[in-house]
Amino acid sequence: MIKQVGTAALVGALTVAVAACGSGGGNGGGSAASPTGSSEAASSAPASAKPAGKIKLSYWTGDRHDQDYIKEIVQKFNDTNPDGIEVEMVVKTDDFNQAIDLAFSSGQAPDLIRVKENTIQPWAKKGYLEPIDSYLTDEFKRKFPAIPDFNVIDGKTYSLPNYGSTIRLVYNKDLFKKAGIAELPKTLAEMVEDAKKLTAAGKADGAYGFAQNFKSTQSALFRSARVIAEASGYGGLGYDFKTARYDWNGYKEIIQAFKQMVDDGSTMPGMESLDIDPLRAQFAEGKIGMYLSFSSEPGVYKDQFPAKIDWAAAPAPTIDGTVKGKTSLLGGQWLAISAQSKNKDAAWKFMQYMYGDDILKTYQEKGFGLSMVPEIAKIAGKPNIVGIDGFLPTENDGTWPLEPTSAIKVEGELATDVFFKYMLSGGDLDAMIQDLNKRYNDALDKAIAAGEAKAEPDPGFDPMKIR
Amino acid sequence: MIKLRRIGFSYAFLAPSLLLTVVLGIYPIGWAIRYMFFDYKGYGEAKFVGLDNFERLYRDGPFWHSVANTFVYAGGKLILTIPLSLVLAVVLNRAFRGRSALRAIYFMPTIISSSVMAVVFYILFNSYNGILNQYLLKLGLISVPIPWLGPKHAMLTTILIAAWGAVGNYMLLFLAGLQNIPRDVYESSSLDGANRWQQFRYLTLPMLGPVLQIVVMLAIINALKGYESIMVLTDGGPIGKTEVMYLYVYKLFFPTPSASYVPDQQFGYGSAVGFATAVIVGVVTLGYHLLSRRLNRLQ
Repeated sequence: MIKQVGTAALVGALTVAVAACGSGGGNGGGSAASPTGSSEAASSAPASAKPAGKIKLSYWTGDRHDQDYIKEIVQKFNDTNPDGIEVEMVVKTDDFNQAIDLAFSSGQAPDLIRVKENTIQPWAKKGYLEPIDSYLTDEFKRKFPAIPDFNVIDGKTYSLPNYGSTIRLVYNKDLFKKAGIAELPKTLAEMVEDAKKLTAAGKADGAYGFAQNFKSTQSALFRSARVIAEASGYGGLGYDFKTARYDWNGYKEIIQAFKQMVDDGSTMPGMESLDIDPLRAQFAEGKIGMYLSFSSEPGVYKDQFPAKIDWAAAPAPTIDGTVKGKTSLLGGQWLAISAQSKNKDAAWKFMQYMYGDDILKTYQEKGFGLSMVPEIAKIAGKPNIVGIDGFLPTENDGTWPLEPTSAIKVEGELATDVFFKYMLSGGDLDAMIQDLNKRYNDALDKAIAAGEAKAEPDPGFDPMKIR
Repeated sequence: MIKLRRIGFSYAFLAPSLLLTVVLGIYPIGWAIRYMFFDYKGYGEAKFVGLDNFERLYRDGPFWHSVANTFVYAGGKLILTIPLSLVLAVVLNRAFRGRSALRAIYFMPTIISSSVMAVVFYILFNSYNGILNQYLLKLGLISVPIPWLGPKHAMLTTILIAAWGAVGNYMLLFLAGLQNIPRDVYESSSLDGANRWQQFRYLTLPMLGPVLQIVVMLAIINALKGYESIMVLTDGGPIGKTEVMYLYVYKLFFPTPSASYVPDQQFGYGSAVGFATAVIVGVVTLGYHLLSRRLNRLQ
């Protein structure tokens, strides 16, 4: 009996090992995570390395799309810097935020961290990040724009911008042609109509007009409904900057249109369990007519899922066809120094190197992201990558102010879950929105009372005049 | 003196496991019990809020919904797993060629990571290009793809996958129990003219009783606590149809970040919900335990 179980265990262990080998490729290309984070490894440095005084730094990032290039320039830094600094780059993708939380709570934080528009605030508040104001020369201050709430928090600078992301309608040109659609949808009604036509043209080959990654309703609607709401002049995450209150009415017509597409059978079957990567894989195969997403898509269709179709990106439609607001240009931050680092000066030296003109310029030209540094944007050439044209920032892109959603604790179902439920099973949308507004504003009031959120009305707020 | 030495010995042997229990078992529970009464985000100050978290728990519709889902999930899993693993154990307890290979095959799912398997099952079950649908379509059994992970069928799919993962484990426990039943009981019963079914009903089942009770109890606890494969397969969706209570607790401690913001972790409320779920699992287990004891007495 024991022998049999032992045999089974062995076979199982081998199966798992083989599976693990097969899936390991996407996770950092073999960069080993150093659990010891920052260490002044003067005494423990290998004999073959540089002379004594060597400083080891670790840099953790969640970015996968640029890892080959960044690895190359990190290696160059390690080989050439005169201070004996050696940076180990660790790419963690899926659970990056959790890994950071765990690393900080166990005192094993990296020296340098890739921060994003959604993490710089909480991590600065949690005390993970070191202000870099004392390091910033006048030259740096002039060159890199300070963006309140996105790299300057409560008067302290934590990071500097590199690139930004825009959100667009991504569409399958081949399928549009096949369906005989000459013009891209400008309104919600046109979008619904086009999705129907695309499905009619593609269904025989398993292609559908529209898709969203509803495995996470937030991930789905905060890239799709969000950009349509913004372009129509509403806050993308349900917050109204004019009144400093939540008002999900801006989502109403958008969600109704999304529901219509579901009812029409114009949406990809199974999208309720679709993650963004499987969605992209299907788009690359030509099975999806259009979807809405960030400017990371061109990189994905070049390397991760090479697109078998002719595709492009264009501005998202608006509710009624008129643009009443700028759509989100996300970004404003890239590297930050850990407050727990024992080698902050060395970490700044690495940061200085990474923010060098050549590196940032090449970054855009290779198509990893669109520069948010005005001086670089001026000198850098257009990215050399298919599909990027439609994502290039225009005067209709801008950075919306920070809204307080991350600081509030909403009781009950989140807005995105409620909306998705409506899309699948209908109901009284007005009552749902009323309930959402009440619960979100109650949570906002509580957070304000506890001093955890700020919300001041700005009656003159104009979504067309954000920067 | 000898007695003292014996006690000393006992404690010396107990010490390592006692230490581990205190550090890894009792301390975290104490931690969670303390934070149930606080509002704490994992940073900054923990604010004492008294019973606020429990008041919120009472109002928390999605949580109670997840409790209901958990019972559906656990019930479905048990109904499939226990009879199936018992039958498998009885069949595989008889001598025939290939028995060892079959035992190994049925046991294998137990040792494969449930998260890895959930990824594989996603490839099998998804609606747009899942292998299962493609086969069913090819065989002409269905005319349109079945949305296995859609709102109507997602719970059924997760139950099937959970049962697949658990059957081998309980089969093994049953096998161990069956091997303790003396052969001569069967021999004498067959001399008396008992057929296979009668042997199973009047010999195997009663003599397997104590093992069966333990296995069912373990199965109940495991089924109520399971969430890993659901997290990978559906993440509780679509529209909360597969949200089970431990997954709900997990999300309070590790909320899903969206592209625009990362919600704060809710250690205080998460601890309160965690406590409530532990109480629910405890009550169900205790209820089962008392019931099975009473049935024993009646017998």
